[in-house]
Amino acid sequence: MFLFNYRYRLKCIFRDRQLMFWTFLFPVLLATLFNLAFSNLSSSDNFLKVNVAVVQNEELDQNPAFTEAINGADDLFIVQYTTRETADALLKDNQIDGYILFDSELNLVVNQSGLNQTIIREFLDDFVQSSATIVTIITTNPTALDSGILAGVSSRTEYLTAVSASQSNPDPVVNYFYALIAMTCLYGGFLGVKEVVAIQADLSAVGARINLAPTNKLTVFLSSMLAATTIQLLELLILLAFLIGVLGISFGDQIGYIALTCVAGSLTGVTFGACIGSIIKKGEGLKIGILIGSTMIMSFLAGMMSADMKYLVMTKAPILGYLNPANLITNSFYALYYYNTHTQFFTDILLLCGFTLLFSTVTYLVIRRQKYASL
Amino acid sequence: MQVYKAFFKVIQKNRGQILIYLVVFMVLALLLTNTYNPPQNTDFSKVKVNIAFINDDADSLLVDGLKTYLGENANLVDLPDEPQKLQDALFFREVEYILRVPAGFTEAMLSGQDVQLEKTTVPDSTSNIYMDLLINKYLNTAQTYTTYMPGLSQADLTQYVDKDLAEQSEVTMISNGSHSANAEKSGYYFNYLSYSMFAILILGVCSVMLVFNNTDLKRRNLCSPIRSANMNLQMILGNLSFAILTWLVLISASFIMYGSFMFTTTGLLLLLNSFVFTLAALSISYLIGNIVKSRGAMSAVANVFALGTSFISGVFVPQELLGDNVLTIASFTPTYWYIKANNEIAAAVSYNADNLQSIFTSMVLVLAFGVAVLGVTLVLIKQRRVEA
Repeated sequence: MFLFNYRYRLKCIFRDRQLMFWTFLFPVLLATLFNLAFSNLSSSDNFLKVNVAVVQNEELDQNPAFTEAINGADDLFIVQYTTRETADALLKDNQIDGYILFDSELNLVVNQSGLNQTIIREFLDDFVQSSATIVTIITTNPTALDSGILAGVSSRTEYLTAVSASQSNPDPVVNYFYALIAMTCLYGGFLGVKEVVAIQADLSAVGARINLAPTNKLTVFLSSMLAATTIQLLELLILLAFLIGVLGISFGDQIGYIALTCVAGSLTGVTFGACIGSIIKKGEGLKIGILIGSTMIMSFLAGMMSADMKYLVMTKAPILGYLNPANLITNSFYALYYYNTHTQFFTDILLLCGFTLLFSTVTYLVIRRQKYASL
Repeated sequence: MQVYKAFFKVIQKNRGQILIYLVVFMVLALLLTNTYNPPQNTDFSKVKVNIAFINDDADSLLVDGLKTYLGENANLVDLPDEPQKLQDALFFREVEYILRVPAGFTEAMLSGQDVQLEKTTVPDSTSNIYMDLLINKYLNTAQTYTTYMPGLSQADLTQYVDKDLAEQSEVTMISNGSHSANAEKSGYYFNYLSYSMFAILILGVCSVMLVFNNTDLKRRNLCSPIRSANMNLQMILGNLSFAILTWLVLISASFIMYGSFMFTTTGLLLLLNSFVFTLAALSISYLIGNIVKSRGAMSAVANVFALGTSFISGVFVPQELLGDNVLTIASFTPTYWYIKANNEIAAAVSYNADNLQSIFTSMVLVLAFGVAVLGVTLVLIKQRRVEA
């Protein structure tokens, strides 16, 4: 009976085209759209050399030190020497971020306040400030001039060593995909609802027929749920393969733990749906509505629409994060990708198992031993 | 007007689904107005990067001086010194730069020994380069003083450094004219509008078409004593009034939020652009309504179409951030041209022949999409009637 029902439930689910669309094709589609839209997002704050123009005039020629300084900063700037009119035109077309005008004093001309403009400003300030330092030192200690202060000021010591936060790049874009997987897991709830409806005599004709059969309801239900989980897991693995193989999203390299998260996530999703399906007695429309609504809210809090949301919950209301299955799934992937330890990951997985147990127990208590006076 | 009335009866029955998209849009629009504040660009102001400053050394005037200097040029964010909290903050860009001052730093600096500070950054980012400049400058200046004026006390040292680093160069800001914050905000509002507009029109028109295209019902209607031209006219009227009604509802909030701004040239152009887009969206919805066979497929198509075009055309992510090939694909949808015109209208400081021509070209293209799709739909309907 177990295998018989299992096989037929697999067929039933596979042939439900609408169900397959929402639980499988829709996430794949969303992932593709995310990838199209976000592919340039993380590289947008990458440093590109600042385009700057220097106006050529007499004052500039009298300050060779400045020309030397800006030519020396070729890792920061792409410099062009022009006339003032050309510089104005270039600025207007946003071809350059700003131009430098030597006009008795150093002057920067820009048309907006941005990080690139701030960097040019910083460079000019640096020049002015170094001069001030030299003046201060020479006035108090004139011998400094002989001991090479001019060379000393222009040779810079590097004081910073980069220490990376983790073995992986801190790229917030991956979180959108993790949250998307969490949504897919919870959309597995559609399958859970379907299985509950198919086994309850008051919800479907199939359910009524099954209840008549001289077989243990728990056995039948377990095999139905197993069928639903099988398909959910299969869909999830294909989605994961798509994300990694086609879209090139990074998940870290701990394949075993990633698979474990998928299993835990699928179970949570399917039992979540079954739980909703059994608690809510009204029509299937309402069940689906509540399932979609709660999934969307949970995914939103897990950062599917904006990664900042996840951080807000993490820092301001961590409890909310632990009570949200979507966030637990997202966070498991995040921990695997980014953290150096596994403490957070195992906490999340354990909590997911806890939720699965909770949902299963509620479902079991609601659907067992129901008797109908009339149908 | 039986047909016209029936049209709106069907819409009434399906209002639940339609209302969802209306609410989603209103929430988005509301969030936008309250959270988004475009930069005021009348005076030059430094961009401040969010950083975390962690001191493992004993408190000293030098460390304080560095911290104060960074506080003036960047936003110091207080973070607990726990690895995971710091990692999280960097990942979600709460801070873009974490600076750690090592133990023994002050002493090493004062005695002229080599010392290294640890930085944890978003690799290759502009903020990383900028913060490196700032920190290296402070420390190099301090080093110059300790080298050439040995025996300087810490208090004097920081005072000298502070005085030097307070020197600034002149910045002139060439303003491109005044640009109202309302223009940018309402630009976003009208960009988001396209998502809801598409979803609502597809759902509304499809649900009506599903009813009227039901074969039995259609046969019954055809033998009714109303001329088919009359019936079609009423259907067209129904579609148009539904679209205009949706448009009116969706733009209504803009009048509440931006008030009299909506009656300026910019506001009126945005309204005109959204109206043109409504017509194109209606035409596409009509085509989908004639292709889709079931209610399940209807909500799938509405979601995929509205979300898909919005994502690739720059509704959710600005067009500048999208790849060239994505935009090329997007240019085959009216949404792309609608958003392009919107952005140009919102960014324009004054209107001249150049930008007006570009804006109206986009509008004409949107309209052309509408007409072309309508043509395809009419051919399709004609063919079906012949087959039936």
